[in-house]
Amino acid sequence: MVELVVSTLHRTIMAGTSLLLGTTGEILTERSGILNLGVEGMMNLGAVAGFIVTVRTGNVLWGVVAALIAGGIAAILHGIFTIYVKANQTVSGLALSMLGVGLSGVLGKPYIGHQLPVRLEQIELPLLGRIPLLGELVFHQDPLFYIGVLLAIGSWFFLRYTRAGIRIRSVGENPKASESQGVPVQRIRFLCTVGGGAFAGLAGAHVALSYSTSWTEGIVAGRGWIVVGLTIFSLWDPLRGMIGAFLFGGIFVTQYILQPLGIPPNLLAMLPYGATLVVLLMDGLRKDKRSLHAPAALGEPYSR
Amino acid sequence: MKKIGSVLIVLIIVGLLFGTLMGCGGKKETPAKEAQKAEQPAKKLKAGFLYIGPVGDYGWSNAHDVGRKYAQSKLPWLETVIVESVPEGDAIRIIDRLVNEEKCDVIFTTSFGYMDDTVKAAEKYKNTLFFHCSGFKRAPNLGTYFAELYQMYYLNGLMAGVLTQSNKVGYVGAFPISEVIRHIDAYALGVKEANPKAKVEVRWIFSWYDPAKAKEAAQSLVAAGADVLAFTEDSPSVIEVGQEHMKKGKKVYTFSHYSPMQKFGEDSVVSGQLVDWGPMYVKILTDVYNGQKDFTNYDLWWLAAENAALLGGEIGQPINPKFVDLLKSKKIKSKDLGEMNAYDYVMKRYEQVKANQFEPFTGPIKDQKGVERIPAGKKADPAHLLSIEYFVDNVVGEIPRK
Repeated sequence: MVELVVSTLHRTIMAGTSLLLGTTGEILTERSGILNLGVEGMMNLGAVAGFIVTVRTGNVLWGVVAALIAGGIAAILHGIFTIYVKANQTVSGLALSMLGVGLSGVLGKPYIGHQLPVRLEQIELPLLGRIPLLGELVFHQDPLFYIGVLLAIGSWFFLRYTRAGIRIRSVGENPKASESQGVPVQRIRFLCTVGGGAFAGLAGAHVALSYSTSWTEGIVAGRGWIVVGLTIFSLWDPLRGMIGAFLFGGIFVTQYILQPLGIPPNLLAMLPYGATLVVLLMDGLRKDKRSLHAPAALGEPYSR
Repeated sequence: MKKIGSVLIVLIIVGLLFGTLMGCGGKKETPAKEAQKAEQPAKKLKAGFLYIGPVGDYGWSNAHDVGRKYAQSKLPWLETVIVESVPEGDAIRIIDRLVNEEKCDVIFTTSFGYMDDTVKAAEKYKNTLFFHCSGFKRAPNLGTYFAELYQMYYLNGLMAGVLTQSNKVGYVGAFPISEVIRHIDAYALGVKEANPKAKVEVRWIFSWYDPAKAKEAAQSLVAAGADVLAFTEDSPSVIEVGQEHMKKGKKVYTFSHYSPMQKFGEDSVVSGQLVDWGPMYVKILTDVYNGQKDFTNYDLWWLAAENAALLGGEIGQPINPKFVDLLKSKKIKSKDLGEMNAYDYVMKRYEQVKANQFEPFTGPIKDQKGVERIPAGKKADPAHLLSIEYFVDNVVGEIPRK
């Protein structure tokens, strides 16, 4: 029984890591007022870039770097369209999703059925890894998990307590007022979008280089859309995003543990989206609207 | 600002061009078309293929495409067009296009769900021939064909039965439909023959192709104590799970499905089943080319005997050489063959099914509730197997209602 629980929790963390990375990136982007629905596409591009580069170079580190860059480049596209040309953010994001999924399928075609020569191995942290149970669970994961947790906590601190973080939030809330204070609105939005894309690329790298070890088309399988839901679920707070990511990862894993008990997996698969709706509803019913809400200028192009 | 604007216009145009190129679908593959034209101006045949998944799924659609390429290489007068990832509800539109725009003479619809659309299309286009894979409805211009693997699942089950230490054998299934249930039952019959104490546990992922779900389903089976895994879905995920555990020192054996997947888990894949659609496509297309007109009774149901179903996780390797010695050290006993080591036993049974001398579904076979479904000494007929909707008695768990 203990073994079953430990293995389930371990799988939960593995399944949640890509969601964590993607959500942290999307929170950063949306906090600056840019809605990027292209997460699915950016994750796919990150995954395919990471996979191809790892196969070609035989070095998984280059693969991760390539994924980061691929996600970033995809986000640059979105940034140019939405920030400098002021195109509709929803449309541009959706287009990016479709482009990313299609392009990764085409680019990945010659690699179908290829095995990764090396993968992102799980690392046992010294000392911490020896703690019974907890060590095995949390300190025996692949490097992207550690990076993801650090990035999430770091983003939370950054957005909340640093000057740059406050500027990002102010740009997302009221770009006009920020600009009158001398904040470069467009540049900040652009940087946040690219940063968020790079995080999504990392999420894709986790899917292709750690969670799976061979290339199959559609490897990301809708995780990007869950990330978009999770960002709302977390109410744009990276720490809550972290809890959400592992909660959603857990639901995904538990589907199959609970199946023999006669609980239909479709019902469980629906839970993340149901949970997002409940959170939105609760948020809407709250009287104090100041701390928890979407960035006021989210989705609105800004022009002087 | 203006500069960026003009750059963008160029970008959009490039994007649109790219989009139209991709969106037009229908990839034509005509190797050495020019050369053939010169030699054979007379009769050509154009075949269109509808695939349910991406050709890159490494499972069902991939196997059909390998078969198509084989036919293409064997038949110089053949030209083919494929359309991949066609949703089941959308088949009729694609068929219309293949008939009207691509001018296909023959159309292969390769998913069970295309059945009704194919029947409608066959009524609409009397001059086009249709072949529907895995269905049962036929017409003068609509034939059916299928390569069935259940015998291989039975052989896999024999190996699973001797290899399991925990007496718990796992199975990841796509959808609770007859085809998958037949595979599971055949597998369970093999397990039972080799090891009457072992039980088969099933997880459903309700998808033909979802690597992540298959992976979690396999992990949950391992967590529940299963140490041998087989599956019916279209990705190598289950094998990857086995390989991961083997590397960590936990013994989890797996069986490959449909395409040669042994390379995804050299240390875990014991055997598996392979399909070969190639000769079947050659046969059908040759029959068409030779002028057969009426296909009302054209129903190819190919098994091991026709070499449509092969044993193994790699072409030419019925059993992974790494596990031959292990299997030789185990024993299987039965009334008709006596006691033999497991390797020889499996190979003997393989020869028997190839020569049509042995049927895994031979009575007495009881379902989970103890009801006798096939009486003692009787062999199941194809109709029984096609519509099978019960689990045999060593499978744990119920079939989810549809």
